[in-house]
Amino acid sequence: MAKTETYDAPALTRSWLPPLDGGTAIMAALIGFMGFYVLYPLTLIVINSFNTATIAEPEVYGLDAWRKAFAEPGIWRSLLNSVKIGIVLQLVALPTGIFISWLLARTNILCANLFEFGFWLSFFMPGLACTFGWMLMLDPSTGLINSWLRQVPGLSWLNFDIYSFWGIIWVHVVSHGLSTKVMLLTPAFRRMDASMEEASRMSGASALTTLVRITVPAMTPVIIVVFLLSVIRIFSSLEIELLLGVPWGFYVYSTKIVDLARQEPPLVNQAAALGSVILIFLVAFIPIQRKLIARRQFTTITGQFKPKIIELGAWRYPATAFVGLVLFVLDVVPLLSVVGGSFMTRFGFFNLPKTWTLEYWRMALTDPRILQGLHNTLIVAVSAGLVGALFFSLIGYVLVRTKLPGRGILDSICWLPSAIPGVLSGLGLLWMFLGTPVFRPFYGTIVLLVVAQVLGGITLATQILKANFVQLGKELEESSRMSGAGFWRTYLRIVFPLMAQTMVMVAVIKFMFAAQHNGAIILLATSETRTLSLLALDQVAAGYREVASITIIMITVLTLGVAIVARSFGLKVGIRAD
Amino acid sequence: MSFLRIQNLYKTFGQVAAVNRINLDIAEGEFFTMLGSSGCGKTTTLRMIGGLEKPDSGEIHLGGQCLVAPEKGLFIKPEKRNMGMVFQSYALWPHMTVFENVAYPLKLRGIKGAEASKKVEDVLALVGLAGLGERPAPALSGGQQQRVALARALVFSPRVLLLDEPLSNLDAQLREEMRRELKSLQQRVNITVIFVTHDQIEALSLSDRIAIMKFGVLEQVGTPEDVYFRPATPFVRDFLGKTFLLPGKISVSTEQTIGVSVQGSSTASLSLPRSKLIGAANGLLTVGQGVTVAIRPEQVNLTAGRQDGRANMVEATLQTVQFLGDRYEYTVTLGGETRVLASPEPQHLKSGDRVYLELKPEGMTLWPTEK
Repeated sequence: MAKTETYDAPALTRSWLPPLDGGTAIMAALIGFMGFYVLYPLTLIVINSFNTATIAEPEVYGLDAWRKAFAEPGIWRSLLNSVKIGIVLQLVALPTGIFISWLLARTNILCANLFEFGFWLSFFMPGLACTFGWMLMLDPSTGLINSWLRQVPGLSWLNFDIYSFWGIIWVHVVSHGLSTKVMLLTPAFRRMDASMEEASRMSGASALTTLVRITVPAMTPVIIVVFLLSVIRIFSSLEIELLLGVPWGFYVYSTKIVDLARQEPPLVNQAAALGSVILIFLVAFIPIQRKLIARRQFTTITGQFKPKIIELGAWRYPATAFVGLVLFVLDVVPLLSVVGGSFMTRFGFFNLPKTWTLEYWRMALTDPRILQGLHNTLIVAVSAGLVGALFFSLIGYVLVRTKLPGRGILDSICWLPSAIPGVLSGLGLLWMFLGTPVFRPFYGTIVLLVVAQVLGGITLATQILKANFVQLGKELEESSRMSGAGFWRTYLRIVFPLMAQTMVMVAVIKFMFAAQHNGAIILLATSETRTLSLLALDQVAAGYREVASITIIMITVLTLGVAIVARSFGLKVGIRAD
Repeated sequence: MSFLRIQNLYKTFGQVAAVNRINLDIAEGEFFTMLGSSGCGKTTTLRMIGGLEKPDSGEIHLGGQCLVAPEKGLFIKPEKRNMGMVFQSYALWPHMTVFENVAYPLKLRGIKGAEASKKVEDVLALVGLAGLGERPAPALSGGQQQRVALARALVFSPRVLLLDEPLSNLDAQLREEMRRELKSLQQRVNITVIFVTHDQIEALSLSDRIAIMKFGVLEQVGTPEDVYFRPATPFVRDFLGKTFLLPGKISVSTEQTIGVSVQGSSTASLSLPRSKLIGAANGLLTVGQGVTVAIRPEQVNLTAGRQDGRANMVEATLQTVQFLGDRYEYTVTLGGETRVLASPEPQHLKSGDRVYLELKPEGMTLWPTEK
């Protein structure tokens, strides 16, 4: 009897109180930290939507903010506008993207590799460059294309206005709407088992029937994933609407929040109420998205796989010309017009006495605001890249390689930021830093921007790292553990060096993300901590177009340059569709 | 009369001639197999017949109709050729049920409703899948997927059935079962089948005729017995089954027989009829010329002692004996080289024993050695 008791007692305590070993401690620390980092600011948004006092004042709880926010028709309209843009954009970009991916991956179209590089370029080109480049082309009064049209007899009635709903859609499609889909879908199309299409041909279907009845339906799971990735970002879009919608009073979700928070006095509580609405939507939507994405796809990939090129016949040249034209619109037009804009006395005015000038460059390169912006951008982007790569690799490793409890929770937390509009997480962080006494001294410093931008792109970063950890042979680490190394030594001496290339890739992605995206930092930056992107937004809004071109060229060189260097070093900076 | 005729078919991939001017005549209702190791051009030939690849030159005719002739600018698209094809990966469409997969070719031919249902049910019953029509295609086992692929290729009564290594993705037991079914199916449907495989058992057991390919060239075309027992080239001889090679020299050359002294075994001399000589050099043989005698291991008897009165005995030394369940395997050395023989009966022998190999004259072939 006594013997049984001595055995029972420790077993019982163990089951009730798990020993706090190293692994559990790491997991607890990661969940605690990430939870605080990701969830706490969002919680603050929800709480403060019921608060009527402004930030850092004693809270007064009530439903006033909600009442006021939704009494105003503008709020509803902004939500509706976001949804409208999202739907129309997908209707245009998804079928076009599918068609182009099919052309690139499955047919004998000419220059397929060059074209694919073109979409890659467009994918990494800052949205600002594309938006601004097309503004210079399609401004209703000064736009280059419109000026040309006025001189063409019979076409002088034709005038495009980029400051319109369709202007916004156009810029969305040409900036990232199309290239994202081509980037994601082309590899998936390429991996599809060609014999599925061949079996259809042998059954008596033409190439076109095969595309419609076999190829696209068989690719549906991948297409749904790509579609969901886009849908969830409906409310994130900021820069395009800020430049093209706000001037004529057209607001979407993100620009409305910025507008509310920037009013004098700031209507942060109403912004929080508006933010909470989307949080509810996302809480419902993210599990659905995750489930659909995680669901096993059809096995369209076989071992014995031969990429079979579909003969386009007479359509080969028109198809090549079509994709070439698309890329001209996506890459060449915006880049040329931004560069041209920076060297022209007034953009689009070719008959001025002095058409070309270096004056703006001289001004820009000595402008303390631009230099400050460059300085800030480098600090924020480099920090986000380094911290992101190091920290998220640890998370990815823990998720893939350990059997620690709580991995599901950590994984879910890492999925969340991809769905949260940048403006919303910025608003949450603003509250956190201003409302928490410990953090308050950091307000107004660049630390805030780093904190905000490290969070951006976390989902993509952890997914890439996870995928690579899965591929890394587990035996390499196990043999290190068998040789006597512990968790940390194995991680630092074995995993870390083996993963170096992937981590550089993640760092590059995070660098580019931080240098380009303004959503998370637009409410956090001051005139001292403003990055180049934010500066460019202000310059465009203030009408300094020529100087803005130069700022935008600098951002483009920074981000696209880094991407091209990374690519030339063999880093495939792309996204896996699976 | 030739039903499917291939003339001077030629196709390159880059610098390599994947199919190098081959000619074939296949009769209606024939089960014709193209056999060879990977990269020999057999699949490319099959795909050119189906229209999935275009030849660089040469022609393919089916039932008097020209399917492709690059010199004349003629190419009939795969969907117009009315051929059924089963792919190695089965290529079932994952977004369709079994029924929809099989009904697809009918739909494209304007056959709908009850008529289509009847045809699909019939062909599913034919391949042994009756009642499984509503299953989603990916939910089937490998063997079942293969039957669906077969049903889909047969449902529209194609003129030719093309099979691209259809059994290679199945496990060994299932493969044997499917092999037997495939043969009985072909006999029932009586369709012309062109079958591509690298598996010689499949080729020998299924085919009416076999074409053995190597580097884009046809090495030999003939019945299974032809290619197995009367190989035309050293490649065919060594590719099919196991062969036992004995190098030697011609010692006697008469009108009817040729005598060969086996290298490394001074006492042994073989005698075989002149008809067993392979190659054009028949009449030019001289005493002293190097030759190789080839024989299948199953045509060799291993005995412990020399039996008088019997010809074609070769002396060897036994190395090891291994029991493999259904047979014994003997490793012997002969002239410094090691060879393996099998026998179903145990012989009371041990390592180092002197043994005698009796070569059956009808199994021997004689090959002039390259100089």
